[in-house]
Amino acid sequence: MNKTKQNLLGSYLVREKWLLVLITVTGILYNLGIIAGPYFEGQLAQTLSDILNGLRTKEDMFRLALIYVGVIGFVQAVRAVKRLYVRKFANNLNRRMKDTLYGNLIHEKAGASDDGTMMTKALSDVDDCVEGIRKSVTEIFDTGVALIAYLFMLTFYDLRLTVLVLLFPPLAYVIAERLKKPVTESAAALKKSTGVLNGRTLDRVQNALVYRVHGQERHQNELYESVLTDYEKRAVISNIFANAMQPLYHIVSMIGAFLILWLGSRYVRSGYWNIAAFSAYLACFVKLAVKSSKAARLFNAIQKAKVSWGRVRELLDPPYEDAPADPAEPADLRVSGLSYRYENGPEILHNVSFTAQPGQIIGVTGEVACGKSTLGKVFLPVNAQAAGTPYEGQILWSGTEWSALPQDRRYISYQGHQPELLTASVADNVCLGADSTDLAGILDTVSLTDEIRDLPEGADTVLGESGTTLSGGQQARVALARTLAHPAPLYVLDDPFAAVDMPTETRIFSRLRDPGAIILLITHRITHFDEVDKVLWMENGTVTESTHEELLAGSEKYRALWNLQKGGAENA
Amino acid sequence: MRKTKASDPLGKGLARAVWQHRFLTLLLVLMIAASVIISVYPPLVLAELIDHILEGNILRYAILYFALTALGGLTDSGREVLIAVFGQKITHSLRSIMADKLYRLPAEYYVTTESGVTVSRIVNDVSAVETLFTSGIVSMAADVCKVISILIVVFTRSTGLGMLLILLLPVLFYITRLFQKRMLAAQKDRQKAVGSANAQIPETLHNLRALHVFRAEGWMRKRYSRFIRDGFQAMERSNFYDAIYSPIILFTSAFLVAVMMCCASAGGRFASLFGLTVGGAAAMISYVSKIFEPLEAIGMEIQNVQTAFAGISRIRELLQAAERVCPPETAEPVPDTDTQPGAAVNSTADPVVSCTDLSFSYVPEIPILRDFSLELMPEESVTLAGRTGIGKSTLFKLILGLYTPQKGTIRVFGQDPEEIPDAWKRFLYGYVEQTFRPVPGTIEDQISLSDPRISREAVLAALDTVGLLPTVEALPEKEQTAFSAGLFSQGQLQLLSIARAIAADPKLLLLDEITSGLDSLTEARVLDALRKACENRTVFSISHRLYEQTGGRRIVLERPDGTAESADSAPVPSC
Repeated sequence: MNKTKQNLLGSYLVREKWLLVLITVTGILYNLGIIAGPYFEGQLAQTLSDILNGLRTKEDMFRLALIYVGVIGFVQAVRAVKRLYVRKFANNLNRRMKDTLYGNLIHEKAGASDDGTMMTKALSDVDDCVEGIRKSVTEIFDTGVALIAYLFMLTFYDLRLTVLVLLFPPLAYVIAERLKKPVTESAAALKKSTGVLNGRTLDRVQNALVYRVHGQERHQNELYESVLTDYEKRAVISNIFANAMQPLYHIVSMIGAFLILWLGSRYVRSGYWNIAAFSAYLACFVKLAVKSSKAARLFNAIQKAKVSWGRVRELLDPPYEDAPADPAEPADLRVSGLSYRYENGPEILHNVSFTAQPGQIIGVTGEVACGKSTLGKVFLPVNAQAAGTPYEGQILWSGTEWSALPQDRRYISYQGHQPELLTASVADNVCLGADSTDLAGILDTVSLTDEIRDLPEGADTVLGESGTTLSGGQQARVALARTLAHPAPLYVLDDPFAAVDMPTETRIFSRLRDPGAIILLITHRITHFDEVDKVLWMENGTVTESTHEELLAGSEKYRALWNLQKGGAENA
Repeated sequence: MRKTKASDPLGKGLARAVWQHRFLTLLLVLMIAASVIISVYPPLVLAELIDHILEGNILRYAILYFALTALGGLTDSGREVLIAVFGQKITHSLRSIMADKLYRLPAEYYVTTESGVTVSRIVNDVSAVETLFTSGIVSMAADVCKVISILIVVFTRSTGLGMLLILLLPVLFYITRLFQKRMLAAQKDRQKAVGSANAQIPETLHNLRALHVFRAEGWMRKRYSRFIRDGFQAMERSNFYDAIYSPIILFTSAFLVAVMMCCASAGGRFASLFGLTVGGAAAMISYVSKIFEPLEAIGMEIQNVQTAFAGISRIRELLQAAERVCPPETAEPVPDTDTQPGAAVNSTADPVVSCTDLSFSYVPEIPILRDFSLELMPEESVTLAGRTGIGKSTLFKLILGLYTPQKGTIRVFGQDPEEIPDAWKRFLYGYVEQTFRPVPGTIEDQISLSDPRISREAVLAALDTVGLLPTVEALPEKEQTAFSAGLFSQGQLQLLSIARAIAADPKLLLLDEITSGLDSLTEARVLDALRKACENRTVFSISHRLYEQTGGRRIVLERPDGTAESADSAPVPSC
């Protein structure tokens, strides 16, 4: 288990292998190249000395200077490339991880997850993790390789002196490590004091009038003053530990520089070193002292990356494949003995049976809470259903059980009560990336053509959060358009006309019928039920499969509903 | 409303804070100067050392070099300490000024401004001002001094190099600022793209059903991926500037060094212009690398100052907000709770509260009270009735001195309520709000409000009166238990509210409608506690239920356009 997860990070890195190679080459080149600075600067001083003493000519200097600028230019160019590509590498890594996270999120079951807090946390963990990896990669070269390069150059000039002077930077490091405890302690104390300050400030403001009517404001300000004093003290101490110690460690490191000046000048006098060696050695040591103080960063960076990787790796399972599915062929639908309940809930549907053929419109109606919406939801794909138990009974699609249909085809297109619109353009909301959709035709079917044309950018107008730029009726019609833009052999339309006026409803209804599809029209508005092929009348989770005419004759409730609505419609 | 407006209270406050800590400020300036000057010297010593290296006697140079380095480290360290202290002193002073402002703000401010906003001014924006001082102005001054002092030294040693630097510095500084601005812009773009990507997550979860039904998962993934990519493209722009900035600076230094060395060795006029010894050359190389360091820092500091300005203008706004009339500070001793408070003005014949021809409105268009008059005699119990929103609580707030009436007078124990010294308030009147407002601290603190004049005994007595003593004594640390709302039921919280009001044994009690939203059993307990709390006090109440229980005089408040007052005084079965 552990191993495969480790391989997972590896797999992310492998994908970036060319970037990693580039970073490694430039990283090593640059960090070896940094010793060029001190080396050439020493040579420059030496050459100047020689010229002043008449040993060399100015042409020698020109040549050296040209080489110096060229080498530094090359080293810095390599460095720029390295810096740029380390960041690019981190960005790519970050993007891949986030893509994976999102891919897993979108395949979650509807309604099963929280509001996204966990995901948001995971995303910030990815940021931390990648930042840690980036820093580690950077520090491996800029601290690791650089230290080795400096060390190499120092020993090249003189081994004995190097051993001696290199005692001091680690000493500074040891002292710094020792002082780590007060540093973290003072930071923790400051954090605590900050919490108290925030709490007290909030109280002072929130309860200002309570304190005022009790005459306590002055006294509260005095108490607040003591909180401020404590905060001031903690902040100063923490600040001192965080910032004021660094220069002191540097002093310890620089004891080495004193030794170099003293012993190095002897070397020069004895002829063992020239000026170039002397100044290059000194410059090199100073740079090493600065670098070594940052060695701790390398370990911190690796540590941090490890921790956040540990948190996030469980969530980085390989994502699901998502191939868009084409609509399935039309077929007969036969429902028999269907029962359904939500998890831990009472039975909503009881022994429901009906049949339907392609080209039919089946009207489903009944009183409030009769289970008609639930009947529609039973047909949803499992991952789009709210927590529920599997249905009992049979739903046969061309003789195959509905729940066992292969997932490479789309069998249902659905419109629910909620429009479920995205912060995207009208066109995107309707098509959701589906190509070959006749957008104009569909908008016309749902009577949106004029209204969409009046939007600032037509169908490319981006709707506000959850489609709030549009009215409720418009949102419902965009949702209906989306359903129609995703053809399937079974349409389940749950209350599609809820926020639509009667003429529009009539217009939409007249265009709904599709010879290649069954339409399950769930609604409490039955003004067009005289045009449907079949009516399912629902009462308390049971279904009476009938026709408009039969129900009008046989069901008193249906007749009452019809007269009420038809009368209202004719008066309108 | 009486308003006082200082021209620039923030500027004055800061100036006062700096003046108050003038020695610290002076020390800070000196330390910065010392640190700058000392940091300039080591290369010069090194130059001397190299120039005398063959003469043998260089130990003193080595010691001097080390001493200067060490001293430089010490002054740097000292500077950091002083900056920290100075920054915190400023922060502290500013927050004290703002706390004082809280005292002066009118009640209206607290009603109309979200407390989170005010807290953010005091906590976050003041931190921004601290940054302005420490990471902004002070560091910028130090860095500018550093550049100037290096320039001066370079000029004394090598006029040619100095001139080259003078030419190059503005160019490099311009590049620095340009890069920083571009990076900031790129970062803003990135924030925007990241925001879109983040917003897609709750949206995805919210619309999962539709996305699954329509098999739009792949499309949504592409969409998300595009937002992330947009974010990173913006970031890559910023990375590009970041990646090439430092190499450009270092290459420029190398180029300068090369030019200087060539000129120095060219002989003739050039050589005299650059006039270098070997040691001098080494020193100049070191200066060239040092002079560019502060450039980047100065650029960042400019950015810091700019961001801090937004916070500063918000603080200024708060400090310039209209103020109330503050009550006088009194030298009089705190009235003794045992004797009649305010005895001098409160003989039995004088009313405890009197309102005469009172008119008040929050906004001129909607009058709340018009020509309202009322007298409350000692130990009288009066209930104020009237429909919701008619102004009952407003009348209380006027009596409490939270608002100033537009017309008419109010006297509480013969005094203008706005003029009653803070020290006297809770000994004169107690106020029970509709809901209990907890304060941080122990249960005792809830009642005393940390007022040292309220003794532990007084707290316990108040708890006893309202019948909460057994409950509190059952707690692990009794009245010293840290308060949390979970310790008490809704009704018990109301009782705490009453205990808080009577802790200083005031002679007047103002009761807001406190029994609303309680079940009948709890209500009975609260009413019982209230009855006890009302004993021997003048009571002015809005509580309808209390009136039913205890009777007293009843005043019905009506809309100002109708009759202002219709008092149906019933004979009082005194409470």
